[in-house]
Amino acid sequence: MAESEEEVDVLVQRVVKDINNAFKKNPNIDEIGLIPCPEARYNRSPIVLVENKLGMESWCVKFLLPFVHNKLLLYRQRKQWLDREALIDITCTLLLLNPDFTTAWNVRKELAQCGVLNPERDLYLGKLVLTKFPKSPETWIHRRWVLQQVLRQCRPRAAEQKEPGEVELGGAQGSPPNERLRRVLRDEMKVCAEAAGRYPSNYNAWSHRIWVLQNLAKGNLKILYDELSSMKLWVSTHVSDHSGFHYRQFLMKALVAELSRATDASCGPSQDLHRSHWPNGDGVGPAAAEESRTASVPELFGKELELCTDLIETYPGHETLWCHRRHVFFLWYHWRKEQSQDVGRQPSLLNHTDETLSGSLGASAGRNVQAMDVDLALEESKQTSYTQDSKRLKRGPLQLRPGLPSEHSFVTKILSGCRSPEQGRFAAAYRKWLDSVIVAADTRDAKKWFSLI
Amino acid sequence: MLVKGLPGGASRVNMKLYSLSVLYKGINKSNLLKAAYDLSSFSFFQRSSVQEFMTFTSALIVERSSTGTRSSIKEQEYLCHVYVRNDSLGGVVIADGEYPSRVCFTLLDKVLDEFSRQVDSIDWPSGSPATISYTALDSYLAKYQNPREADAMTKVQAELDETKIILHNTMESLLERGEKLDDLVQKSEHLGTQSKAFYKTARKQNSCCEVM
Repeated sequence: MAESEEEVDVLVQRVVKDINNAFKKNPNIDEIGLIPCPEARYNRSPIVLVENKLGMESWCVKFLLPFVHNKLLLYRQRKQWLDREALIDITCTLLLLNPDFTTAWNVRKELAQCGVLNPERDLYLGKLVLTKFPKSPETWIHRRWVLQQVLRQCRPRAAEQKEPGEVELGGAQGSPPNERLRRVLRDEMKVCAEAAGRYPSNYNAWSHRIWVLQNLAKGNLKILYDELSSMKLWVSTHVSDHSGFHYRQFLMKALVAELSRATDASCGPSQDLHRSHWPNGDGVGPAAAEESRTASVPELFGKELELCTDLIETYPGHETLWCHRRHVFFLWYHWRKEQSQDVGRQPSLLNHTDETLSGSLGASAGRNVQAMDVDLALEESKQTSYTQDSKRLKRGPLQLRPGLPSEHSFVTKILSGCRSPEQGRFAAAYRKWLDSVIVAADTRDAKKWFSLI
Repeated sequence: MLVKGLPGGASRVNMKLYSLSVLYKGINKSNLLKAAYDLSSFSFFQRSSVQEFMTFTSALIVERSSTGTRSSIKEQEYLCHVYVRNDSLGGVVIADGEYPSRVCFTLLDKVLDEFSRQVDSIDWPSGSPATISYTALDSYLAKYQNPREADAMTKVQAELDETKIILHNTMESLLERGEKLDDLVQKSEHLGTQSKAFYKTARKQNSCCEVM
């Protein structure tokens, strides 16, 4: 076993070189890992490359890590010079072992700024690191720095810019779609999803995902819709992952904001439609556009509550699902409130208020609303291919327009059929929340309406 | 603006099945007859050790469960569900904490029933994965990865009496007084040297703050 300082030095140089060679030999390495191996095999490298996986035998770490760590610090203190290639290799080795060593990432930032290191290499290195350390805060932080560099490189001339981040993906009329940014965005979503799968409620991964959308895809309706739809399966198989559901809440908020903002814009003289990216395609006239925008917000909420209902019924006793329901219903309630405050712009407003009043007065009016929605729902189900929707239809009517009466009947249904004590508790708590937070505020608003009429 | 995530507890939130095994509960020890594994969610270099541990765990559970019982044993972020029939044929499903246990018991009933009709009971006491010809485990494991695919939940609610399932909060509660899991690991023939070494280091580390 290597014991003397010279022997350790030789061993470490060899390992760093082996790692570098592994990357050269296989540019498709997609995972790193530690191989539990308490003792070295005679004269064999601790670096193992199998398929696209890079492994390091555990015995060498206690030599390797302190040595390269020290070497980098000496460089930083200007006590020992390292050329650019050596710096790249050493920081790479260090970060594969300890990605939260900020100094190593910072050295790489300097190399990138000198033009010696392509920042996208750090996106690749970060992706590898996250296969073993899915939460590593410094890795995510550095990733955002790199993405800012990439954005700066992709950004069109300042004169053409409308809003930061908005035009990058080809939103502005006439500018060609930015392929590089699209690819980067797709990769980021993938990296976030993988990291989220490797650690439960991976706060850092989900925050990063939100940051990416806010900075690389601001105002892009199509991407928001795509994310919402692609996340459906993920949250259905991770029903306790609060961060995953929080991401859906972010998407809902962003979608509602975009849809509402565009409605406001199209009401004015200059119809700023180029901000929009229709999920169904272009070429929709302004009046029809406005109608389908305002119509689609209730539909959005209806579908989200439907997903929530489905999961609550299938997997009883998960608090996360009930928390999600509260968030979604509250968002809906808020949006409806804002809509009702824009008096005169929305002639259908009175129907909203009627629904609220009838909701708090009795269930019969609510039932009428439900009957109408069943027709809509059946219409909808013909288009959907998701089998769970058609199964649910057999159980009961779908509610596409959310409201208090439907929420209360949902709670009643759960309480009457549930066998899980936790489920019962959550349902009762939800009902209490509806009564104390929502209805109280609604009653105040309703009284205000009466005084105005 | 950063997202705040509530603590999700120790459970791995994958809604996954990791292994499905059929064993024979002999007088002194249990005998592995056939097994299927899905290790795709584990890091590559840990997979062979993980598989060995799942075999070790399944065998131990069947050994320590009485015939004619169903149990669920919690071990770290996993739930192990076992059914040992009165004829000493046993099945173990190792799943994550999220996967609905009712579906696991449905699966076990189905598999053991089919196995007992396809493989003669005379072969059970001395059989091994190499000698037993029963090939359906892999496809069952794959199919049941999505608990809704099974669609047996409403049916099972009627058939299975949940109060009869024994719950254990740790593997330790299956052991005899004075028995230590560490000792059983060291003595086990299901575990290779690398796995035993892995077990030793894993016990010392908090995997959340892992540097190595």
